[in-house]
Amino acid sequence: MNAVEVTDLTVAYGDKPVLWDVDLEVPQGTLTAIVGPNGAGKTTLIRTVLGMVKPAAGQARVLGRPYAEQRQLVAYVPQRGTVDWDFPTSVLDVVLMGRYGRLGWGRRPGQADRAAARRALEQVGMSELAGRQISQLSGGQQQRVFLARALVQEAEVYFMDEPFQGVDATTEKAIVELLRTLRERGKTVLAVHHDLQTVPEYFDRVVLLNVRRIAAGPVAEVFNEENLRHTYGGRTPFFSQNGT
Amino acid sequence: MSGLLALELLSDYTLRTVALGSAAIGVTSGALGTFAVLRRQSLLGDAISHAALPGVALAFLLTGSKAPLTLVIGAALAGFIGTLVVIGVVRTTRIKYDSALGIVLSVFFGVGLVLLTYIQQRPDASQAGLDRFLFGQAAALLQRDLVTMAVLGGIALLLMLLAWKELKLLAFDPDFGTSLGFPMRALDVLLTSLLVVAIVIGLQTVGVVLMAAMVIAPAAAARQWTDRLGLVTALAGCFGALAGVTGAVLSAEAVRLPTGPTIVLCVTGIVILSLVVAPRRGLAWRELRGRRDRRRLRLATVLQDLHALEVQHPGANRGHSEAVVSVMSGGALPSLRELERRGLVRRLGDDAWALTESGRARVEP
Repeated sequence: MNAVEVTDLTVAYGDKPVLWDVDLEVPQGTLTAIVGPNGAGKTTLIRTVLGMVKPAAGQARVLGRPYAEQRQLVAYVPQRGTVDWDFPTSVLDVVLMGRYGRLGWGRRPGQADRAAARRALEQVGMSELAGRQISQLSGGQQQRVFLARALVQEAEVYFMDEPFQGVDATTEKAIVELLRTLRERGKTVLAVHHDLQTVPEYFDRVVLLNVRRIAAGPVAEVFNEENLRHTYGGRTPFFSQNGT
Repeated sequence: MSGLLALELLSDYTLRTVALGSAAIGVTSGALGTFAVLRRQSLLGDAISHAALPGVALAFLLTGSKAPLTLVIGAALAGFIGTLVVIGVVRTTRIKYDSALGIVLSVFFGVGLVLLTYIQQRPDASQAGLDRFLFGQAAALLQRDLVTMAVLGGIALLLMLLAWKELKLLAFDPDFGTSLGFPMRALDVLLTSLLVVAIVIGLQTVGVVLMAAMVIAPAAAARQWTDRLGLVTALAGCFGALAGVTGAVLSAEAVRLPTGPTIVLCVTGIVILSLVVAPRRGLAWRELRGRRDRRRLRLATVLQDLHALEVQHPGANRGHSEAVVSVMSGGALPSLRELERRGLVRRLGDDAWALTESGRARVEP
């Protein structure tokens, strides 16, 4: 069974297509990068699979079922720029938010949740900063906090939106280690990625996306110049696909 | 004097009602305002309070009653419709959120003023006092107003506490909340409704014109003092209550001013105090820390310079004049004296300075 399965997915904002008839299969236990130029619909793809954007057509399944039935098996790492890091809260508190889903309405996090949060912080090398106010974190530390928050969700499939965005070399290494650990434990990671050079080193599979799916598969097979040119080349990628 | 006032607070029926009522308003609007401020929706409070005015007038026109609950329900409905119009305008037109707030605020307020003027021109005397909804009048609070305010405010705060973790998620990272399966849009509606309640119970006392200050200012002040959401919220509630009680009692007893302005003056005082003296974030604190850092840097520089001079004369146990050091880092005399006091530098002659053993140890790696 595939970890993520997307069929005929089409999303439009107004009359502008953001994703056009996208098919996608992500096998379990793999690290997959979603690659494409700005405005290619990478973030929208993740947000649609996670039910935050309503598709015009098509469907997405996580481990064989619609996402709404599989929430407990999915973790999400949004772009870190989407939140206000001056918010009055601590590192541990943010990580604990990863437990809110399984806690459900009205219940507060308890001892077990705190212990899980501390373990997750340890995994990303941030144990000593548990009590730190989040406005005092560097970009790399912010990203690690978000990763720790995803870890405490104890999920099977991890969706990450640009986890390497603006982080220092140490953090980048730590994140790569973490991704590999997740893969060793049979988890699946689907990450939006910007740095083409590191794709072969960090990921097993790649999805080349520019409104349409240009190519998808093992890095060795599809991550080549021709596909990249198709993805990044034309000014109107959708029509050039049809026209030539 | 203050003891006398406290005694009066306990014994004087009117004053006690005024104080308790303003405290209830302050706690509710301060605590719930924290979420509005953290979500950068401060102006929403202003729009809601202004939009509530036609609701008050219509409620009176339709029912002929001035019972607090009737007017509050009218105000709440109008305030809520106002926010729905804001959302509708943003969704269906190209008008941005802040402009939509401004439009709704002024249109609803204008309609409210027209209705209020119409009511006041009517011959019967029963309309008297509705104009206090403009600038507020705490002295007119009655026991039944107090009960209404306390019950509604209490329910709003209770709901806030029950949905605490979900509201925190809404304020910090709504996308993540959606991915966890929480209905973030419903939570947004809940929070806005609670804010509407917090605002309408204060309208009679503070007035529609200045009620927004009771939503924004306590939270802005509280944020200066702490980095924990729970404490910010609690502190904002306390600040709101403090400003509310002080302002209301002042307006009811000491000065012949409407209550809204006196309360706003009090809460402004709290904000200014917080901006200046709060630890870490306060202006005074930052200034002091800046000075301390500059001074430290200066002492370290002078010490480094003396060492650099000393290295040029290996073996020789001699000092250097202040003028020489000052060439490297101008006006070094005060720093040299301070370093001498700390035992890092010693004076060999009248104007010859050298490192002591501990001074050298501090510089050399």
